[in-house]
Amino acid sequence: MHPLISYAAKRILTYLLTLFIVVTITFLLFRLIPGDPISSFVGQLQAQGRYAEAEKAQQIIEEYKRMFGLDKDLFSQYILFLKELLRGNLGPSLIGFPRPAQDLIMERLPWTIGLLGISAVIAWALGLVLGCMLGWKRDSAYDKAFTTASLVLSQIPYYLMAVILVLIFTYYLKVLPSGGAYSPKLTPGLYWEFIKSVIEYGTLPALSLIVASGASWLVSSRFLTVTILAEDYLHFAEAKGLKTSRIIKRYILRNALLPQITGLSINLSFMLGGQIVLETIFSYPGIGYLFATAIGLLDYNVINGVLLLIIFTALTANFILDLLYPLIDPRVRYHG
Amino acid sequence: MDKLPGRIAGTFKYFSKLLAGNKKLKVGVAIFTTIIVLAIIEPYVNRLRLGNRSPDEIGLGGSYEPPSPRFPLGTCPWGRDIFGMLLLGTRLTLVIGLLSGIVATAIAVLLGFISAYKGGLIDHALRSFIDAFLVIPTWPIFVIIAAYVKILGLIEISLLLALFSWGGAARIIRAQVLSLKEREFINLAIVSGMRDLEIIFFEILPNFAPYIIISLTNAIMGAIFAETGLRLIGLGPPLLPTLGYLLNLTLSGGFLTIRPYVVAFVSAMLILIFLSLNLINIGLEEEFNPRLKKVTGL
Repeated sequence: MHPLISYAAKRILTYLLTLFIVVTITFLLFRLIPGDPISSFVGQLQAQGRYAEAEKAQQIIEEYKRMFGLDKDLFSQYILFLKELLRGNLGPSLIGFPRPAQDLIMERLPWTIGLLGISAVIAWALGLVLGCMLGWKRDSAYDKAFTTASLVLSQIPYYLMAVILVLIFTYYLKVLPSGGAYSPKLTPGLYWEFIKSVIEYGTLPALSLIVASGASWLVSSRFLTVTILAEDYLHFAEAKGLKTSRIIKRYILRNALLPQITGLSINLSFMLGGQIVLETIFSYPGIGYLFATAIGLLDYNVINGVLLLIIFTALTANFILDLLYPLIDPRVRYHG
Repeated sequence: MDKLPGRIAGTFKYFSKLLAGNKKLKVGVAIFTTIIVLAIIEPYVNRLRLGNRSPDEIGLGGSYEPPSPRFPLGTCPWGRDIFGMLLLGTRLTLVIGLLSGIVATAIAVLLGFISAYKGGLIDHALRSFIDAFLVIPTWPIFVIIAAYVKILGLIEISLLLALFSWGGAARIIRAQVLSLKEREFINLAIVSGMRDLEIIFFEILPNFAPYIIISLTNAIMGAIFAETGLRLIGLGPPLLPTLGYLLNLTLSGGFLTIRPYVVAFVSAMLILIFLSLNLINIGLEEEFNPRLKKVTGL
């Protein structure tokens, strides 16, 4: 068999297997927690004084359990769960009852994709290019200033960065809004004023992600560049009299790209989880904020749905990068 | 082996020399030590200021009191003393960080060592497990467990955090053991008939202290990072007013509008904790990874 095919087959198998294991674990997670999810939810409502009589609460619990298929044994629950999941059905949401959880999630998803996608790409590209440039001009005054600043910035958690940015831009300078995704006076639609408002409201959450993760990309790609610059093949390229732009593009960026692409998948998984805190701080209507709201009310179908979506995205991104890897790194093509 | 007191004195001398030689390490250790001292003297300071009452007691002062000699940072909506809570929060955050950091490092050292030292199938299985742990976003899972399991005290939350923050450290340790394993003196020990445990404890571990410290600071940061994040979405044990809890309290209490500097103080304390631990990390890596020092050259 061609090594590329066996490489791809191995990756696909690992991907599917990991996905299956993770789905099973998340299913068990909610069942192993003391007290089933419905009782926890009703208990929560009782604590808030919404259902006073215990007898009535018990009735509601039984009713819900039947509706959610929780009255059967664990194995049939599991099969039912898998079946419905494959059809894209997560079951009804408790907070938005009787709307299904996937509806709530789909409504919020575009906001998260937009915010996270744009800021992740900007941070990554900016960090890579700036890092390479600073590495190229190593030991210059610029290099010292920027690299030290980035070292400091990359160590500040993104949520603290968010708080600092809100402090500066919303409360001291009063130039950028925070809280929500667009001005509450506007109705969503495709017109300039609304788009402008979305950009305005998205700037601070995006900026916190870009500064925090861009800085760490910059530090690591500068380190890679300096390492590459010490390699023999680079001295040879210089001795050959190649143009600087060619050396930077073909020799440095290309070699620095490799480890940075592997880093991207770990970073993405980290940022996806981070979205929960970030969106909560900014009341940004994405799936992270939905997760935080759902978890405050113990709405387990929504919680489970967002969790599965986050894990699925992280695993799939990692899988795609794995498949792309041989195209960028010829070594993998021959050794599998 | 040398006598123990001599060894300790030697270690001490070694570390002071190390500190003097690296500016980042020096600054990091200085800031972190100051924060630790603050955390240690917190009970005495707050007792002196407030008598026998705890700073997070509801109704200690009025609601939203402005700063005064008695309450240097004012009070929260429920009349709790924010300055006292800042000190108490620092103490609790550090205790949780250290506790779970130590447990996580122990897990990481154990798994990293077994994985690298034994090699073969065990290594392959453990490595896949560690990699999966790093790629899958585990933080939301931690949040879910913390939300459903209601009885979380200091120890429980620390242990839970530890379970979720050993991945990165295990990777570092494994890589270092692999490189150490190839060195001559380990082969010598194997040839001379030392047992596995003896080799691990007497030959590998002593050469390993800096990496364990790096893993420890990483795990501490990971734990504090996760705990603070949990608090910012309004979860976590309500009886443990950590810095994350205080930050959430000031943010949701509207302090950004009325007294933004209160939010700034709380954030600054957290940032200093992260910053100092990271400086220690970078400093140690520069000292023990000369290649890195040569290339960063800062």
